[in-house]
Amino acid sequence: MTFQTCMSFELKNNLSELSTLCERLERIGGALGIPRRLLFEINLALDELFTNIISYGYADQSEHSIRVCISAENDLLTVVLEDDGIPFNPVERLSPELPCTLEECKVGGLGIHLVKNLMDEVVYSRCGNKNVLTLKKAIEKN
Amino acid sequence: MEIIEEKRGPLSTFKLQGRLDSNTSQVFEKRIFDAMSDGTKNVVIDFKDLDYISSAGLRVILKATKALKREDGKIRLCAMQDYVKEVFEIAGFDSFLTIVPTLDDALKSM
Repeated sequence: MTFQTCMSFELKNNLSELSTLCERLERIGGALGIPRRLLFEINLALDELFTNIISYGYADQSEHSIRVCISAENDLLTVVLEDDGIPFNPVERLSPELPCTLEECKVGGLGIHLVKNLMDEVVYSRCGNKNVLTLKKAIEKN
Repeated sequence: MEIIEEKRGPLSTFKLQGRLDSNTSQVFEKRIFDAMSDGTKNVVIDFKDLDYISSAGLRVILKATKALKREDGKIRLCAMQDYVKEVFEIAGFDSFLTIVPTLDDALKSM
């Protein structure tokens, strides 16, 4: 197994941290040379997962930390998201039937559907008291 | 996020700037529904300066579209950056929403 340098940061379980997420990604994106479109997609995937975790992930009202670790190697971007919330595997969640009409359209499950479609690979594991979600995406440089 | 609103008769145009996410979507939802209470029947949303949208933003657009349809109103979305448009496509929203290239196209189609 090769050792990868990872750039990491932590977010508190508060929606206001979405702007921190954006700022951190801008900085890391610059440092790792991640193309803008990919940065947007990573931001969106992490936004949806983070929003899910803080909305449904905690049984108490305490402050929690959610850790994000990003590395890029051989044109592959890997993002690991770790939280100490209740066990939840988003990969098992079925994608909603895509709507053809306005009447059929429901928004439940849409966030996870976006994540699965934006990323090349999404892998879940439960390690001790932590949910660990690993996202992978090829870096296509134009 | 900045929202610039122009109202002309029953038509309201919303120009969005910045990021439409879980933090800002409620403000936008309130602006649209306030306009509807104030007589707006048709809505144009200009995405030219919108850098970012998440499912929270899609949810507001969906809610507004359903509410306008109940009133026999119309909604048009325009001038999306390609990666914003991709989010609408992945969500399948492009099958029931009219997304046009420019603000002019949107206004003409009203």
